[in-house]
Amino acid sequence: MTALDPGRPDDLALQPEASASGPARTRWFARKNRQAVQSEGWFAAALVSPALLVILLIVFLPLVYSVWLSFAEVDLLRPGGTAITIFGMRLPLYRFTGLANYSKVLSDPLYWQALLRTVYFVALFVIEAVVIGFAMALVLNAHFAGRGLMRAMLLVPWSMSRIAVGILWLGMLDADFGAINGILYRLGLIDHYLSFFSDGFTALNVLIVVYVWNQAPFATILFLAGLQSIPQDLYHAASVDGAGFWRKLWHITLPSLRPMMFLVLVLATVNGFLMLDLIYVMTSGGPGNDTTTVTWLGYRTAFSFFKFGPGTAILFTLTLICVALTVIYHRLILSRFQSE
Amino acid sequence: MPTVIARNHSKLWPVLGLYGLVALVALWLIGPFLWLFISSISEQRDLLARPMPLFPPNPSFANYAKIFGLVEFHAQHQSAQILPSLGNSVVVTLIVTALNIVLGSGAGYAYARFQHPVMKITLYAILFTRMLPVVVLMPALFLIMRQLGLQNTLSGLVLAYCSFTFPFTIWILKSYFETIPRELEESALVDGCSRLQAFVKVILPISGPGLVAAGAFTFVLCWNEFLVAQVLNSKPGTTTLPPTVAGMLGQANIDYSVIAASGFLSAIPAVILALVFQRYMVQGLTAGSVKG
Repeated sequence: MTALDPGRPDDLALQPEASASGPARTRWFARKNRQAVQSEGWFAAALVSPALLVILLIVFLPLVYSVWLSFAEVDLLRPGGTAITIFGMRLPLYRFTGLANYSKVLSDPLYWQALLRTVYFVALFVIEAVVIGFAMALVLNAHFAGRGLMRAMLLVPWSMSRIAVGILWLGMLDADFGAINGILYRLGLIDHYLSFFSDGFTALNVLIVVYVWNQAPFATILFLAGLQSIPQDLYHAASVDGAGFWRKLWHITLPSLRPMMFLVLVLATVNGFLMLDLIYVMTSGGPGNDTTTVTWLGYRTAFSFFKFGPGTAILFTLTLICVALTVIYHRLILSRFQSE
Repeated sequence: MPTVIARNHSKLWPVLGLYGLVALVALWLIGPFLWLFISSISEQRDLLARPMPLFPPNPSFANYAKIFGLVEFHAQHQSAQILPSLGNSVVVTLIVTALNIVLGSGAGYAYARFQHPVMKITLYAILFTRMLPVVVLMPALFLIMRQLGLQNTLSGLVLAYCSFTFPFTIWILKSYFETIPRELEESALVDGCSRLQAFVKVILPISGPGLVAAGAFTFVLCWNEFLVAQVLNSKPGTTTLPPTVAGMLGQANIDYSVIAASGFLSAIPAVILALVFQRYMVQGLTAGSVKG
């Protein structure tokens, strides 16, 4: 799992150096290398600078600017007043209002309701994604005909845009033309079509299931990679000792998958907090505000009501949660991988 | 483990049970997607009929003809955006993928081979951006793009998508290049190649799997991207397929079967690409482990 590990640049240095070419060539190469160090630095700089420039302009500059916006009273119609000029572009600074946006946001009961709803959404989403993702991985790790095809199928829900996912599940769940209603009706289980989106709490749970459908295959892919790295001898030895399916699952499979489990947990948590496009397509935060999460509240505040100041403030509270999760992620996962 | 069970041919029930589970997983993964296709070749009144037919009595591609503007229908001016948006999606996705392969592989190579404090700091900065929620940047990016005059342009989208995809591409390709022994370039350098020649002529030709993984991943991410396109290119005709298809949902006079056709059309390129390159994509996903 070196790929997950940014702090190990010496992987290749550990390999036996120039084993085939002997010491003479190595010495010659080292001398040539010293002369070339200057030009190699330029070479490396030339290779990384285009990507770095784009990231600087489109990620770091907006990041700094949006920190400022969250402390300002942004009036999009009056971009006058003080401004800074970077790369020939004039960025208005608007009126600095200190913590006003944050105190306004944090004193709004809507925000706290949305946060509570988000926590419910994320908790249930993470649990379902891990359980279903893991169950699918166990099934697909078995030996059966068509295993390769089944693994390919995993990519179908994941590689669809969430807009298409939303449209597709509206077609499954609609109260007039939904396939699930159609099937239940045919089977005689219901005598009238059910409405999945008129009750707020049901709608929120439906969103969770749909997002799980889209995201759990990703967890499955990671779990399958983890399952394949477990030595089969362990299972054979356990079978000899008379261990059944559940004992092997508890004592061999789950402990071996622990690093993968943490990875899936953290990625699912971050993805859960940031989910936006499904809400856009399926519920628009409604009915009422019953499916309004913090991300959706921030997006709506900024881009439906064009209140950029409070909008960025809401979104930054979310960013803090994500950054905290990232720190946990690095602490827990990367240290685990390094110790292996 | 099911492994052991399946090998034991004397027991029929566990094998049947396993195949039952496999069928269940297949139904869960593929069933809804197939239903989207079935809806798209149905007529709206078949979907509304009770009992609902499980396969349309008169399947036809009429809904696709409608969204491609081949047939006139009552909502055609709304669906007229589909074709230009499809074109925009293709252009933006292909350019971003190409830029990722060219610039991203160069940067990934540099990070794999050159150790310097500056390189280390910038690499951590790039990794940091991967954990940043894109949505928090959007208000500021909206204002910046407006100042640059790149709002409602494809160049603006290309620039934005590059900044969000470069970190992933650099990351997978860096880890891929690290698996290639240094001696390969060293002997090329001894033979008189320049550093650039050693990279382009020796390393790149044997980096196919890494490049395919990065390229396929970039393609799927860009093709499916919604938020940035929705916010930056809100003017009709300048945006990509996902916001256009999402916009059709808000129109009360468009049949669901027509929207299903648009949804299926918008999904199918990325799904096919993912299936074709599945082996590489899975490797890239496992190695890159990104959000998304």
